[in-house]
Amino acid sequence: MVKINISGLRKYTVMFVLGILMVLFSFTSPYFLTFRNLTNIISQNTHFIIVAIGLSFVMIGGGIDLSVGYQMSLVGVVTAMLMVVYQFPAWIAVILGLIMGTILGLLNGLIVSSIKVFPLIATLATSIVFQGISYMVSKANTFRSYPDEFLFLTKGKILGMPFDVFLTLVLAILVSIVYSETVFGFRLMALGGNEEASRLSGINIRKMKITLYTLCGFFTAIGTMVMISKANTTNSSFGPGTEFIVLTAAIVGGISFMGGEGNIPALVTGVFILAVLGNGMQLAGWGTYAQFIVRGLILLGAVTFDEYQRKTRNSKQKRSVPEQLHVKES
Amino acid sequence: MNTEYAVEMRGICKRFGGVHALKDVDLELRHGEIMGIVGDNGAGKSTLMKILSGAYLADEGEIYIFGKKVNIQNPQDSFNLGISMIYQDLALFNNLDVTKNIFVCREIVRGPFGIFLDKKSMYQKAENLIRDLRVDIQSPKLNVASMSGGQRQMVACARAIAFQSKILIMDEPTAALGVTEANKLLGLIRNLKDMGLSILLITQRIPDILAIADRVFVLKGGQRQDVLDVSLITLDDVVTMIVRGKAGNGKQISGVEYKSFG
Repeated sequence: MVKINISGLRKYTVMFVLGILMVLFSFTSPYFLTFRNLTNIISQNTHFIIVAIGLSFVMIGGGIDLSVGYQMSLVGVVTAMLMVVYQFPAWIAVILGLIMGTILGLLNGLIVSSIKVFPLIATLATSIVFQGISYMVSKANTFRSYPDEFLFLTKGKILGMPFDVFLTLVLAILVSIVYSETVFGFRLMALGGNEEASRLSGINIRKMKITLYTLCGFFTAIGTMVMISKANTTNSSFGPGTEFIVLTAAIVGGISFMGGEGNIPALVTGVFILAVLGNGMQLAGWGTYAQFIVRGLILLGAVTFDEYQRKTRNSKQKRSVPEQLHVKES
Repeated sequence: MNTEYAVEMRGICKRFGGVHALKDVDLELRHGEIMGIVGDNGAGKSTLMKILSGAYLADEGEIYIFGKKVNIQNPQDSFNLGISMIYQDLALFNNLDVTKNIFVCREIVRGPFGIFLDKKSMYQKAENLIRDLRVDIQSPKLNVASMSGGQRQMVACARAIAFQSKILIMDEPTAALGVTEANKLLGLIRNLKDMGLSILLITQRIPDILAIADRVFVLKGGQRQDVLDVSLITLDDVVTMIVRGKAGNGKQISGVEYKSFG
C-alpha cells in the first residue's frame, strides 16, 4: 500500500498554484513581478495572515469563527478612541485592545462550548452583536492620526524589514512549532479529527474549545492593531469582510473545513494566493468587483475540494471494514 | 468490599429519561480473569461498561477497584485507576497515524513544563508495542484511515494496554471482523490475560466467550440474571439465559430455536 500524506502533498500543491499564478500575472502586467510590487503584496497582507493564523486554531479544532471581522471593527475603534479621543499612551491602548479582543474570543468560546449550537450560527450571531456595539461605541465616527509609537507597528523597521512583517514571521513560526511539536497542537489535531474519541480519551473538550476561540480573539486583535496602524485611520466598517478572506485563504491553504488538518506554511501560501490574484487582477485592469466574484468562486472550489478529499478518505475506510454485522446497542 | 476482585460494582442504576437502562446491577470481576458480558440488544451491557470507563455517570451505586471504593467522574479518572476501554466504534482518529492514535492524551513529553512532544520516544514505544503484541501493522507511521477493521482493533488494543492498564474493557471487538482476524484478536486477548490483565468482554458472539472467557455475566432488561462458569455450560445454556432470563423468573417462550446464535 502506497502511503500518501495528503496534507503534506497539499502544502506543495498550494505553493505550486501560487507559482503558476505569479508566472501568469507576470505576463499580463510588466509591473507585477517587480520588487516593489511583491513587497507591497507582502506588507498589504500581514494582518490577514495574523488573523488567518488565529482562525486556524478554531478551524483545526473543528469549529469556525465568522465574527473575526466585527471583532476587528470593535477592537479597532476602541483602540483608536483610547489613543485619539482619550489620549491614552499607545502601549496602554494596545494592551487594552488586545485584552478586549481576547475577551471577545473568550465569549465566543463560552457560547459555542456551553450552548451546543453550530459554531457557524453562534459566531454569526455574536458577529452581529459586535457590529452593534462597535457602531454604538464609535457613533459611526472615524478616528485618525495615531501617535508615532503606534505607527511604528507598520512604519518601523527591524532587521531590515517592516515591523509588522517581522511580527507576522515570528507569529507564524511560533504557531507552526505549536502545531507540530507541542502537546497542545497534537490534542488540537485530535479534537478536530474526532471530537467524541477525544472526549473518551480524556481531553477536556470544553476547556480546549474555549482556549481555541480565545486564542483566535487574541490573534485577531493583534491583526487589528496592524490593520489600523497601516491605514492610520479606522471606523466601524474597518474589519468586516476579513472573515471571508481569511476563511477562503485558510481553506485554500489546506485547513480542512471539518477540522483535524492544517499547517502554517500552506495557510500563509493560501493568503498569498488570494493576494496575488487580487493584485494581478488589479494590474490587469479587472477592477475590484470582479475580484469579489473570483474570490467567491475560489471559496466554493476550495470547499468542494476539501469535501471531496474527506469523502475519499472516509470511503477508503468503509471499504476496509467489510462486514458490519451487529446492530449497535445503546 | 473484597480484595479478591479487580472490579466490584454494587447496586448500579442508570436511567436515560424514562428508560431504566440498569436496575440495581452487581458485578464482580476477579483478578486475571476474562469475563464475558452478554445480553440481548438493549440489555444494558455497553451502558454498564461505560459507567466503569467514565463515559457515563451512574445514578446510583458504588464501584470498588482492587477493593478500594472509587469515584469515577470522567474517562480520565477511570484511566488513572488503570481501566481502559476499547469502544465498539473504536474511537480512533482517522487523521492521525498509528503512534499518534496510541498516544492521544497520554503523550510522552519533554521540555519545560512538558509542553513538547517527545516524538522519537513515542514512535519507538509504538514500534515496540506493535512488536510485543505480534500484530500485523507494518509501520507505526501508517495512517489508521487506510487500515482494515482488524488492524484498527489492534491499534485500539495497543492504545489500551500501552499504559499499564490493569483492567481492560472491550466492546464487541470481533463484531466487524472476518473469521481469521477475529481469531487473531481472540489470541491477542488471551495473551493479554496471560500478561495479568483482568478483562471484561462484551460480545454477541457466544462462541467467542466459550473459547476464551472464564465466566460469563448475563444481563437482561437492565438486570443481572446470573454469572455462569464457562467450563460448566454449553452455548445453549447461555442463549437460553439471554432470552429467558434466570430460570424461574423469566417467562417460558416455546417453539423457538436459538441454536444458531452467533
